[in-house]
Amino acid sequence: MAAGRDTKANIWQYPNEGSSCTPVSLSARRDIGKQERYLQANNKELNRTFGYPSNAIKTSKYNVFNFLPLNLFEQFQRLANAYFLILSIFQLIPQISSLAWYTTVIPLMVVLAMTAVKDAIDDVKRHQNDNHVNNRSVLVLVNGRIVGVTLTAQSYSPSSVGNIYFLKLHEEAGEAGPVLLCCVCVLYTGDNVLYSSETNLKVKQAVSVTSEMENNLQLLSAFNGEMRYESPNNKLDKFTGILTYKGNSYFLDQDKLLLRGCVIRNTEWCYGLVIYTGPDTKLMQNTGKSSFKRTHMDHLMNVLVLWIFLFLGSICFILAIGHGIWESRTGYYFQNFLPWKEYVSSSFVSATFVFWSYFIILNTMVPISLYVSVEIIRLGNSCYINWDQKMFYAPKNAPAQARTTTLNEELGQVKYVFSDKTGTLTQNIMVFNKCSINGTLYGAVYDKNGKRVKVCETTEKVSFSYNKLADPKFSFYDMTLVEAVKKGDRQVHLFFLSLSLCHTVMSEEKVEGELVYQAQSPDEGALVTAARNFGFVFRSRTSEIIVVVEMGKTKVYKLLAILDFSNVRKRMSVIVRTPENRVMLFCKGADTTLCQLLHPSCRAIRDVTMGHLDDFASEGLRTLMVAYRELDSSFFCAWSKKHSEACLSLANRENKISRVYEEIEKDLMLLGATAIEDKLQDGVPETIIALNKAKIKLWILTGDKQETAMNIAYACNIFDNGMDGLFCVDGNDGETIRQELSSAIDKMKPKPLLEPDPLNTCFTTKPRAPFRIPEEVPSGNYGLIINGYSLAYALERNLEVELLRAACMCKGVICCRMTPLQKAQMVELVKRYKKAVTLAIGDGANDVSMIKAAHIGVGISSQEGTQAMLNSDFTFSQFQYLQRLLFVHGRWSYNRMCKFLSYFFYKNFAFTLVHVWYSFYSGFSAQTVYDTWFITLYNLVYTSLPVLGLSLFDQDVNETWSLHFPELYEPGQHNLYFNKKEFVKCFMHGVYSSFVLFFVPMRTICNSVSSDGKEISDYQSFSLIVQTSLLWVVTMQIALETTYWTVISHFITWGSLGFYICLLNFLYSDGLCLMFPNVFQFLGVVRNTLSLPLLWLSVALSMVLCILPAVGYQFLKPLFCPSTVDKVIDRMHRMKHPLPPPVQTKLKHSSTRRSAYAFSHKQGFGSLITSGKFMRSMMPKKDSFSFKK
Amino acid sequence: MDSTSQICQSRLPDSTALKQQQLPAYQLQLSATKVLTGFFITGAFCLGMGILLILSAKSTKEIEINYTDTCANCAKLRENAINFDKECTCSISFYLPETMQGNVYMYYKLYGFYQNLYPYILSRSNSQLMGRDIKDVGNCAPFSKSHNGTPIAPCGAIANSIFNDTIILSYNLNSSIHIKVPMLSSGIAWWTDKNIKFQNPSLNNLPSTFAGTTKPPYWPKPVYKLDEEDSVNNGFINEDFIVWMRTAAFPTFKKLYRRLNRIQYFTEGLPAGNYSFNITYNFPVTRFRGEKSVVLSTLTWSGGSSLFLGVTYTVTGAVTWLASFSMMAIHLMLNGRKTVYSQQ
Repeated sequence: MAAGRDTKANIWQYPNEGSSCTPVSLSARRDIGKQERYLQANNKELNRTFGYPSNAIKTSKYNVFNFLPLNLFEQFQRLANAYFLILSIFQLIPQISSLAWYTTVIPLMVVLAMTAVKDAIDDVKRHQNDNHVNNRSVLVLVNGRIVGVTLTAQSYSPSSVGNIYFLKLHEEAGEAGPVLLCCVCVLYTGDNVLYSSETNLKVKQAVSVTSEMENNLQLLSAFNGEMRYESPNNKLDKFTGILTYKGNSYFLDQDKLLLRGCVIRNTEWCYGLVIYTGPDTKLMQNTGKSSFKRTHMDHLMNVLVLWIFLFLGSICFILAIGHGIWESRTGYYFQNFLPWKEYVSSSFVSATFVFWSYFIILNTMVPISLYVSVEIIRLGNSCYINWDQKMFYAPKNAPAQARTTTLNEELGQVKYVFSDKTGTLTQNIMVFNKCSINGTLYGAVYDKNGKRVKVCETTEKVSFSYNKLADPKFSFYDMTLVEAVKKGDRQVHLFFLSLSLCHTVMSEEKVEGELVYQAQSPDEGALVTAARNFGFVFRSRTSEIIVVVEMGKTKVYKLLAILDFSNVRKRMSVIVRTPENRVMLFCKGADTTLCQLLHPSCRAIRDVTMGHLDDFASEGLRTLMVAYRELDSSFFCAWSKKHSEACLSLANRENKISRVYEEIEKDLMLLGATAIEDKLQDGVPETIIALNKAKIKLWILTGDKQETAMNIAYACNIFDNGMDGLFCVDGNDGETIRQELSSAIDKMKPKPLLEPDPLNTCFTTKPRAPFRIPEEVPSGNYGLIINGYSLAYALERNLEVELLRAACMCKGVICCRMTPLQKAQMVELVKRYKKAVTLAIGDGANDVSMIKAAHIGVGISSQEGTQAMLNSDFTFSQFQYLQRLLFVHGRWSYNRMCKFLSYFFYKNFAFTLVHVWYSFYSGFSAQTVYDTWFITLYNLVYTSLPVLGLSLFDQDVNETWSLHFPELYEPGQHNLYFNKKEFVKCFMHGVYSSFVLFFVPMRTICNSVSSDGKEISDYQSFSLIVQTSLLWVVTMQIALETTYWTVISHFITWGSLGFYICLLNFLYSDGLCLMFPNVFQFLGVVRNTLSLPLLWLSVALSMVLCILPAVGYQFLKPLFCPSTVDKVIDRMHRMKHPLPPPVQTKLKHSSTRRSAYAFSHKQGFGSLITSGKFMRSMMPKKDSFSFKK
Repeated sequence: MDSTSQICQSRLPDSTALKQQQLPAYQLQLSATKVLTGFFITGAFCLGMGILLILSAKSTKEIEINYTDTCANCAKLRENAINFDKECTCSISFYLPETMQGNVYMYYKLYGFYQNLYPYILSRSNSQLMGRDIKDVGNCAPFSKSHNGTPIAPCGAIANSIFNDTIILSYNLNSSIHIKVPMLSSGIAWWTDKNIKFQNPSLNNLPSTFAGTTKPPYWPKPVYKLDEEDSVNNGFINEDFIVWMRTAAFPTFKKLYRRLNRIQYFTEGLPAGNYSFNITYNFPVTRFRGEKSVVLSTLTWSGGSSLFLGVTYTVTGAVTWLASFSMMAIHLMLNGRKTVYSQQ
């Protein structure tokens, strides 16, 4: 690491030497260590022997031949499926079989088949995806020619380790991580992997020895350098390797490495040697573990199924004991009529067999179709997300997409949202919005009456027709500024001149008049673009000159020095010699620093400008001050000398340089200030307010600087000025951070004097055991800001709990300067200690780890590549859709899933427990109440559709209301609708229903006869009555649960009852029974029993007894203990008329806060520009401005 | 925009009501009016139905005579299986205080006889009983074949354990004149059972069709000799046999034995007076502590004299009304709590 840093410094300071590729010392060799790799360029045979992975990806699981065995194997790994398989095997044992074999086999087959079909469809999609990716063509050097080959083409095994890779401008560095071999110049990559997701240019340089090969394919093909380099790891900012070529060794560091996913800029082409492929690339190494996400509901379901197992076991045990007693007291004496089987020697043996028989009979308590139904419901609810027009973003033609179809109900339970900033909350577009020049404010728009108006689409734009080089995309609304420019106001001209000179932007002009700026930060780009449009076009630059087209006239400024930006200085300056031979210093920087450097004479204008800056800040704009100084030529010469001395000094160079800089950056004349809008995405503040109302906590995890992040936090209402306090944690060691955190906690939640802190006791008693941090209520509204450097300490074991406590009590939390890994760690921290659902939303590759770590990952599809999207569970194009995703889709999904689960368990309990009651009257002989066909079809046919319909169509509250009252979202966060308590309720309800369903028919037919004297108390009639009652009761129950009656609901609810009657007539029909007399035994029961008034009276009584209490409970519950939701719903019912559209309120920011300078988080390019190294590629092309060095 | 939308297809989702979850629907709300009205109506229905059922059940007449212990010596005799071929008869006299109007049905009722045990229910062969394959005794264990391997017809535990008492009702006009009450043994089984489910292998010459099979071990005579009075009522379509084969759901059950042939003295039903049952006691019940009785009963539209439905309906109706009143009171008292909600 240290070595890497040193070499980097060398590049910056002595760029002309051009390389750190000095022959490698022995120590460096040792640095590489044992974990190293070796390859030789263009030597396929040798490289193949190492077995490095291929670049072709394979995400599909099956092929045609292994699908069936593999898929079945996987399916039987699921507990439920395996259980039913074992059960079917049990049923084949005649001694314990108490049900026909098909009762379990048919449902199991159907379930397996449905899952298999779903898996097959998924896998076909994956195959298509793989093919698509693998057929992407890359350019590879083969036998002296550049050939485009696909990733799977066997003959070339392209872009595998050791091959030479060709990249063009704006091309993404595909699937491989190549080391730069040669390119014409230093090149910048729009690297979006590191820290910030703001597209930052990074400098990459080729090794000098290979650079010399240039574009010579013969030389490149003959290149046989050998490389030793470190084995794949996830450190993005570190790389060590040694290239041995023609006997010399060259040290390679991260500046030579192109990372997968980066985009080439500012160079026409480059060649690279592939060293990492596929999963070995740094990007893939950094994406974190891809784990299969399971919802809380899944875990709960597993626990409940386990409970049911235990209950099943115990009830079987009880029934077996009952059987033992019955056999010894009654059955033994009944042997005349029913002798014991040969293998039954005593009632104990018989009881043992009966235990297993009951195990088979009562298996329906473990719902076989539960898992497959849950999957169908989730799939359906995901489709709604894909289909939602209101989440479709027309400008990008991008609909929302549910990439994972297994997490839906969790969307209704989100408590913590972790959001990236750039590209997620903001559009990552910087817009030059306002400026203040010489004490005059420009940029505000007024209507005819002099009132300030909001800029909207209809507002008239300023015409830049006078300027042929203007950027057509730039828009400005204040005419006065253009008029001032046209008038030739000297200060205004100077202001824009300084903007067009004082920067480190590169320009590209491929077509005459079409300028493209490559800016290190979007802020700079916005400023230079603004200057360009107002008539001060920065056209091109070399290391020594800057060409500016000033109001149509081309002028060449000689660049004398760039006083570069740094985090401490917070300003940058350029010194130029104007065509008029004046030496001018232009400076722009943060107002806080620049103010102190101003000449005393501009105090008046400074005060006015400061007032304007306050205005800008109150609108959430990013501000910069611009100033200039005319230098005396001799003074500059003297300074220049000092500067070079300082540069050359070996000790304490940085300090010396900045002292030299300070000498010249003083007595500046203020020109004005700029205001740049970091454009928020549409509807972001409103969405955040709504999220807050729903008690969802939004944390911003960003790679950006603290100032920018805070600025946005205020702009989008995460922080507001009504807050009671803002804690800033920026300590540099563990102890300071601990103190900062604990003082924050103390302030938010003053410790009671007597009570011990519950958490501390938790710690002291069980220091290692995992525990949940309880919700703590702070005394007010607080905010927390912490930066990545402090986080590194705070995320350590001993501090993380403190951090989390402090963070969770705050209204808003902002973590800045975070690495991708830290983002994930933060999410993991919350996941570990809080029993809450987390959602991470981001757009860049740096958000991938966080998206993967969170329970739900949401990717914003943006211009920053597709990494985040590909790893996310849900994608859409605008942050504001999050509101709809959570409050509408999430809430519905959650409510539906909860209703589904409670009903599903209920109906199975009501269904199965009837057998238990019957056993008391059938000598515990494992006799079922129902016909075997009813048992087979109950879950599969009779009751499946209504509950599926409920969980696909039900809406307790329509979308307008659920968006209008975010409070409705809260029950999901605490999982109030389905938890263990609710499950016990379902269970009790099921027990009660089964009790009614057994005893009402029993007492009805016991001792009863039909009106013609024939018996109806036979087993088959009883069975039919119970079946029919059961179906009516469960159907009425679901009708009661359904709140949203569509045509489909009516059809499937009443239809399934009708279908039952039809199927009954079929299964018990003469023909079928005559054909298979031993399988279908219920001949004639329908005809005899269904026509009895007694049967229907019994069904009606069962229904009344089962449904009325449920209705009463539902009616009384909100009366006795009304929840927030009940109140909201009640209010909604009172308001008959639809809601008025929500009033858009303009968010006001106070002027007490000043937004800050935002260039870039790293040192600028200044020295690189002055070195002139990058110019090589441009110069041959642009003849008009070719200057020899 | 126009040109691009033509080139690349818009991915805007369809705006069907289903996909946008905008299907027209009725929003079911459990409002107080609806719930309370529902409760009132249900209560009224239950009360009315309950009273109707009680009244109709009360209009039937039923007399039950338990003869397990009345014929004690026979019971003792039957406890030992060795005595199965020794005949034992007994007579039980009783007094009918009121005329039993209309159709009168005679049932035998068994207590504690488990016709619903899983192995018992299973032990039959439907294809044999259907006359399809007389030798199909697949499920009939443990009564599928005799010791020498001949298949049993009808096979299985159910058939083997057939109720084989003969009960003859006599009307004692005075101490000397005993009139045998005319009883019909036909029309006591389900039509579907009699005509579809139970069929003799062939219609003519029953003994030869049953050749190659043997009678169930407990039966004194083969299946084709079950009814000696009516030759058509023999074989698998013997109605007593069919009634027995329709297994009862609970250990206490009654099965239709005979129905009154309303001729001579009995056109109006059973007149009041002295009667006696002459019972040939064959069926052993005391061994498994069972009991048996004979029941005479008249019927109404709702069946027999069971009061359960009527009483339960009445109670349910009353409770529902009570509940609806208290719910209304609670609603009026507490409704305020729900409505106090102010938006921040």
